[in-house]
Amino acid sequence: MTHAVELPLWAAIVVACLLLLGAFLTLVGSIGLLRLRDFYARVHAPTLATTLGIGCVLLASMLFFTVLQTRPVLHEVLITAFMVLTTPVTLMLLTRASLYRDRREGSPDVPPIPARPLPKDGAER
Amino acid sequence: MPDGIVLACLVGLPFVAAIVAGLLPTRARDTASMLAGAVALVCLGLVWSAYGTVSGGGVLRAELPWMPQLGLSIVLRMDGFAWLFAGLITGIGALVVLYARYYMSAEDPVPRFFSFLLAFMGAMTGLVLSGHLVQLALFWELTSFLSFLLIGYWHHTAAARDGARMALTITATGGLSLFAGVLVLGHIVGSYDLDVVLAAGDTIRDHPLYIVALILIVLGALTKSAQFPFHFWLPHAMAAPTPVSAYLHSATLVKAGVFLLARLWPVMAGTDAWAWTVGLAGLITMLIGAYIAIFQNDLKGLLAYSTISHLGLITLLLGLKSELALIAAIFHTMNHAAFKCSLFMAAGIIDHETGTRDIRRLSGLNGPMPFTARLALVAAAAMAGVPLLNGFISKEMFFAEALSATAPVHPLLNVLPLAAMLASAFSVVYSLRFIHGVFFGSPPTDLPRTPHEPATWMRFPVEILVLTCIMVGVLPAATVGPYLDIAARAVLGDATPYYSLAVWHGVNLPLLMSVVAMAAGVTIYLILQRRLREGMDGPPLIRHLDAQRLFERAMVTLSWRLARTLERIAGTRRLQPQLRLILIAAIVAGAGAAFVRGVGPGNLVPAPIDPVLALLWVVGAACALGAAWQAKFHRLAATILLGGVGLVVCVTFVWFSAPDLALTQLTVEIVTTVLLLLGLRWLPKRMQSSSAREPEVLGRTRRLRDLAIATAAGGCMAMLAYVVMTRTPPELLAQHFLARAYLEGGGTNVVNVILVDFRGFDTLGEIFVVGVVALTTFALLRRFRPAADSVELPEQQRDQLEADEARHARDDGRHVADWLLVPFTLTRLLFPVMLVAAAFLLLRGHDLPGGGFSAGMVVAIAIILQYIVGGTEWTEDRLSLLRPPAWIGTGLLLAAGTGVAAWAFGLPFMTSYFSYADLPVLGKVPMASALIFDIGVFVLVVGATLLMLIALAHQSVRGRRSTPRTLPQAKASPRVADAVGGGG
Repeated sequence: MTHAVELPLWAAIVVACLLLLGAFLTLVGSIGLLRLRDFYARVHAPTLATTLGIGCVLLASMLFFTVLQTRPVLHEVLITAFMVLTTPVTLMLLTRASLYRDRREGSPDVPPIPARPLPKDGAER
Repeated sequence: MPDGIVLACLVGLPFVAAIVAGLLPTRARDTASMLAGAVALVCLGLVWSAYGTVSGGGVLRAELPWMPQLGLSIVLRMDGFAWLFAGLITGIGALVVLYARYYMSAEDPVPRFFSFLLAFMGAMTGLVLSGHLVQLALFWELTSFLSFLLIGYWHHTAAARDGARMALTITATGGLSLFAGVLVLGHIVGSYDLDVVLAAGDTIRDHPLYIVALILIVLGALTKSAQFPFHFWLPHAMAAPTPVSAYLHSATLVKAGVFLLARLWPVMAGTDAWAWTVGLAGLITMLIGAYIAIFQNDLKGLLAYSTISHLGLITLLLGLKSELALIAAIFHTMNHAAFKCSLFMAAGIIDHETGTRDIRRLSGLNGPMPFTARLALVAAAAMAGVPLLNGFISKEMFFAEALSATAPVHPLLNVLPLAAMLASAFSVVYSLRFIHGVFFGSPPTDLPRTPHEPATWMRFPVEILVLTCIMVGVLPAATVGPYLDIAARAVLGDATPYYSLAVWHGVNLPLLMSVVAMAAGVTIYLILQRRLREGMDGPPLIRHLDAQRLFERAMVTLSWRLARTLERIAGTRRLQPQLRLILIAAIVAGAGAAFVRGVGPGNLVPAPIDPVLALLWVVGAACALGAAWQAKFHRLAATILLGGVGLVVCVTFVWFSAPDLALTQLTVEIVTTVLLLLGLRWLPKRMQSSSAREPEVLGRTRRLRDLAIATAAGGCMAMLAYVVMTRTPPELLAQHFLARAYLEGGGTNVVNVILVDFRGFDTLGEIFVVGVVALTTFALLRRFRPAADSVELPEQQRDQLEADEARHARDDGRHVADWLLVPFTLTRLLFPVMLVAAAFLLLRGHDLPGGGFSAGMVVAIAIILQYIVGGTEWTEDRLSLLRPPAWIGTGLLLAAGTGVAAWAFGLPFMTSYFSYADLPVLGKVPMASALIFDIGVFVLVVGATLLMLIALAHQSVRGRRSTPRTLPQAKASPRVADAVGGGG
């Protein structure tokens, strides 16, 4: 980070705060992943890291490069979009798989398969 | 006309016409035959136009240098001898085309036939006109190959297939031997040019390698000319249509061996070795062929063995140490072509009009087909050597040579005239049998068709040939004399002795021998007549010597037993031993080289260890170890851990400022992991060896050994990397590239400029490899049948189908669509975004990290994602552009086309051009021609990756189709891999 010295003080403070916040949130998410009690609970912990945590880091990055290059740097918006789109997909796939297996094994912790199909499906056809 | 054009047309025209004929519609019999006939006549005219030059002893010559440094050029050369053969090939070719027009049935795909025939004509002309030994061997093999196609023309019959295969095996093997022989010859002389070789006779004969060259070349010639012990392919080649037999197996192809022997006669003959190999083979073939021919019941079989015998005669003449014998050989080659070709045509007419070729069933055809009978009678008389026909004159010459020959040893000397008479007597017997058996006797009964005269034009070629036989027989010196003289002088040069072509030489010993042989032949026929009529099962005495059976047995031994034995000894189908061997070999090679040459310490001081990077690497190493640990029983976990290793590598690349590598690594990692996951589904389950458990010690030993090998291999790699990285390379190529990337390549991303410009040719080769690998993967997996225990639908898919059926019998897959609705929608939203990202990477690749490869991978990942979440059928219904082979082809064409385009500007292959274009939205965009190349790479990568993916993904679709919908209760335990990839 050789360019960091050129950064104005106010920007440096904001960037540092955002980075620290992001890192903290990510750490919390990771600890949650480790400590929470079962799979369904644990699935929620990393989302803290992938949404808020990453968001803070991305904001810091945007600010840092925008100030340094004196023009708006917006690449991070794209990254945010990707994160917002992909994180739920991944976690939903994992949860669905887990839910499926638990139901299959007759685990008492998960609700059973709904008995009746939603009437909407029939109307759709 | 200039020599070059005449010669090039002679060789090239038939090939061009062959392609044209091959493109004609299947039923275009008349068009194809007109084309073939016209080409043959034009070629004959071209040959005739060269007569002026050739008759004066001149040589037409055209040379096209190809690789002059290696002494390889295309040389066409026509002297008198080649001229004579070219005339035979084109002249008889024209007659055969006319004959074939009427012989071939309208139901056959006739254009294909004429296409092969024309190509053969071109190959044969090329063979006789070759002025370069390697080129000669090439055309030689080409004639073998086309002969294979022609014999196998009626490929729906087993006889045609077997005959074609046998002919190809024998003659092509002989051709390889000939190739080796001419290489040795070229090595001896120092040049492959025929003119140089023909001028180096003494050098060749005195060279220690002479014997090697002789044996190899003679093997080639003997196989081609169906000489003992390789004669047996010719009778089996009779499964070919009769025009092919008339053309290839009497007049041209089988004469190629004789041609070669005569061609090299001046430089290779004259030694005892030559006389023994060539002469002895000819002598045995002549006798055996004639003897077997007597007992053939098939007309074409009789003619085939007779051909073998006459070729033996010619070979024997070539084996004698006498110039006059050579002239007799050339003369008999022409005579034999005339009468044997007409006899084959006559046999074809008989077959065509009566429906059978069995001599025992045929008789008295003189009545219904008198003209054909007269023609066949004259031709057969020429074959038997009756006076006033051409066969008689060459036979007289042969007898004279047999009497005066100076053979290497005394017994042979005594045997030779006797053998000549015996063979001549035999030829009288089989000629008589042919004529008497078919045309005389009681009127024919019980034939498949009512015999009648053929179409006038079908008989015309026979008439021409028979007329030739008579004219040459009556007035040899006036008709064929000048041409024979030209040919003989071309081979022998100034050494051509005096000879006289005349019917009457006075009462002398050869005439007496002729009379005796004739009388003996008639007597033998009279004695054998009744037994032959009843039909004998093969020739007496050597009935059990079936060369075909020996050949089949040899083939089975070679191609089946030997191969199986070798495979059993040296091969394994198990992957583990193969990998083990490869690794051990690599370790030994690498460590051995390092040990022999020695490796000193490097000159660079290692940089201090960065704690963050070190931590990262600890994680990576843990992942790697974990993957190895879990690889056997927890494949999914191992795959995930491998992904972790890949990510660490990726971050390392970023750390050391190699964004291009990191990008590539990241995308490749993703695709690889997906492909591995798809493959996991099809791996067999863990082997349950509870009852017969191998001893614990043995298993542990094996694992320890594998651990040792793995550690050694990894350690060696690490050492290698360390050694390389701790020293300065002697000349830093990187500086060179860095300095020139922008100036000469027009790009600031040096990595990309290297890939698409400086080393563009390498990249071109690499993407070809990628394309080939993808196609191979597809080809292998297309026929893949999964292991028995993974063939069933996974439990989750069965559940989904059940659920679909239970709920109002909805469409298959609705259940899973409901389950994955949110991820599915999000993924669809992501698709265009990913495409934009790919376009971004592609366009900026020349100046900033990115490029065709990573862009292609991104697109592939985008599509894979649709596959995973949307399912195979859904994705393919919507992405109709998804035809990966077409993408691969387009990519290769684009990349190679960019390279070729440089030629249009007079620049070397793959020269690049660059400038900047101002596009409306995107702004200033670098427009190097390398960008098009990069787009080619991009398209190919997308196609190749998807092809491999689809090859794997379609297994599940195919598996579902091939298994019944309702399956018995599940036995398999639920597996996480299936659950994750359940939608796909």
